[in-house]
Amino acid sequence: MSNLSVNQAANWHLPQPYNTRHVLFALIALLILAVSGVRMEVPRMVHDTVQGVGYAVGLADESPVATGVKRIAESIWPLRISEETEISRIENFDRENLPWLSRVEVIETKMQRMNTDTLRLEETIESKEVLIKPLGYLSHVLLKMLETLEMALWGTLLSVLLSIPLAYFAAANYAPNRFAYNLSRSTISLFRAIPELVSALFLVLAFGFGPIAGFLALGIHGAGFLGKFYAEDIENADRGPQEALQSIGAGKVKTLWYGVLPQVMPQYIAYTLYIFDRNVRMATVIGIVGAGGIGLELKGRFDMFNFDHVGTILVIIFLTVFLLDQFSARLRSRIL
Amino acid sequence: MLKFNNVTKRFPDGTEAIRNISLQVPRGQFCVVLGPSGAGKSTLLRMLNGLSSPTEGEVMLDDEQITGKSVSRLRRKVATVHQQFNLTPRMSVALNVLSGALPQVSHWRAGIGLFPAALREKACRLLDEVGLTPEHLPRRVSELSGGQQQRVGIARAFMMDPAVLLADEPVASLDPRISRGILQLLHRQSRNHGTTVLCSLHQPELAREFGDRIVAVSQGRLVFDGTPAQLTDSVCEDLYHGTLNRHHEEPKAAVPVSVPSLEMAIA
Repeated sequence: MSNLSVNQAANWHLPQPYNTRHVLFALIALLILAVSGVRMEVPRMVHDTVQGVGYAVGLADESPVATGVKRIAESIWPLRISEETEISRIENFDRENLPWLSRVEVIETKMQRMNTDTLRLEETIESKEVLIKPLGYLSHVLLKMLETLEMALWGTLLSVLLSIPLAYFAAANYAPNRFAYNLSRSTISLFRAIPELVSALFLVLAFGFGPIAGFLALGIHGAGFLGKFYAEDIENADRGPQEALQSIGAGKVKTLWYGVLPQVMPQYIAYTLYIFDRNVRMATVIGIVGAGGIGLELKGRFDMFNFDHVGTILVIIFLTVFLLDQFSARLRSRIL
Repeated sequence: MLKFNNVTKRFPDGTEAIRNISLQVPRGQFCVVLGPSGAGKSTLLRMLNGLSSPTEGEVMLDDEQITGKSVSRLRRKVATVHQQFNLTPRMSVALNVLSGALPQVSHWRAGIGLFPAALREKACRLLDEVGLTPEHLPRRVSELSGGQQQRVGIARAFMMDPAVLLADEPVASLDPRISRGILQLLHRQSRNHGTTVLCSLHQPELAREFGDRIVAVSQGRLVFDGTPAQLTDSVCEDLYHGTLNRHHEEPKAAVPVSVPSLEMAIA
């Protein structure tokens, strides 16, 4: 018995998992990375980063990267929470009825002025009355963030509405004919191929500054994603229930509704949540090209070097994305 | 009246699943189609609800030929009970049964899930007949046991008052104890509703117990047609033994799905 198994073992041959072809492929891949790495200035990145870290721990004398980061950090902190407005610039100011939580302060500023007679710089003290709203700027940013969230919501809604018919025609087993299938597939690819930022640029030209361009851009791009995902889920759904409904003559649409949709619903919700999540992040970015929301505020403050304002905006964006992540993770785990 | 006239089914790869079968099933008969896995039972049944069409010959339902044109109309007279139940998972028992009447419901009603009161009452009555309780209505079918799922499947099949019921191995994925109960139910329901049943099985003892008439298919040919009493043990042995031998010579079964189950049967 044991003899037999020894003889049989001699017939077996188990080769090594790698051969020369694999090694050759690995070498070619390395070569490509090396050439591309030089083009991408990877060595300089490594050098500057190491220098920056060295500067931080006191090993290097100077580092342009560390100096830049330090300058930004110093100008961001403390974050801008309050809002000051010169009272002389407020029309119909009512000293008796101040807005909630706000107060009036007198601010004295030293100014260097050129005396035209003596042609000397003279120091003068100017005092002005300002209205201070302690949470003024924060609430302004929060409102902008809300606008961004609304843009994301409408963008998601639009992409869901667009992608349902697209997915129906892009699912090989439901498309009525080859033409509709190809048309729908290529529309989906086109939608996905245009980045939100680019379509928002053009939509701003068409609809003007504001959230319309923003959520249209988000909706179109999202429809490209959802259409593809939805269609593939329809194609991969269990055929049994569909066959059962087809065999009694329920028709395609009703078969899809009762044989497929309940099966794929959890995935659909998961994809849609992901697109919403993505839309919130993208909505902050496309604001930069004028499509409304917090991005517009960010761009304005950045261009005016108001880094303390920028800091507040960044913190709010971070908190929103973080909370949204927690929320959608919880929702997803409940559905799946 | 159900008629197969010299029906042959050839698949694109050249396999002949059905070879020149002629068969007549009168109204109200409970006809069991017996045969080992891969014999062509499923294909025979699928030609009646248009999921498969004959290469040669004709299939007639109430003197009307089932063709590409008539199939969507004739389908409504034919209901199917499936081996894997083919219920929509994650959907409630109630909606699964109601979906059996989808051809009668308008698109917009189906779209928002508002089924007419008459259909809802019928669904409840049928669920009661198959032995489920009102507590089952909102439950997802995936939470039910196999036997309960097949009961839902049977209730769904009767939603359209079918003239013909096709039962494709209705108990193959259930354990033997439950199988008898399901077949009893199927038998009783079809008797009460006056439905013609074409039920494929691979257990001869169940065929003898429930069939009014038994036909046996082997390698796509009709090899036996008679009463339960005529289906003797020696006939069964010939039927199964012969097929198992042939399976060794010719590993390609007519229906690919059946290969693993046949191998399990041998093991």
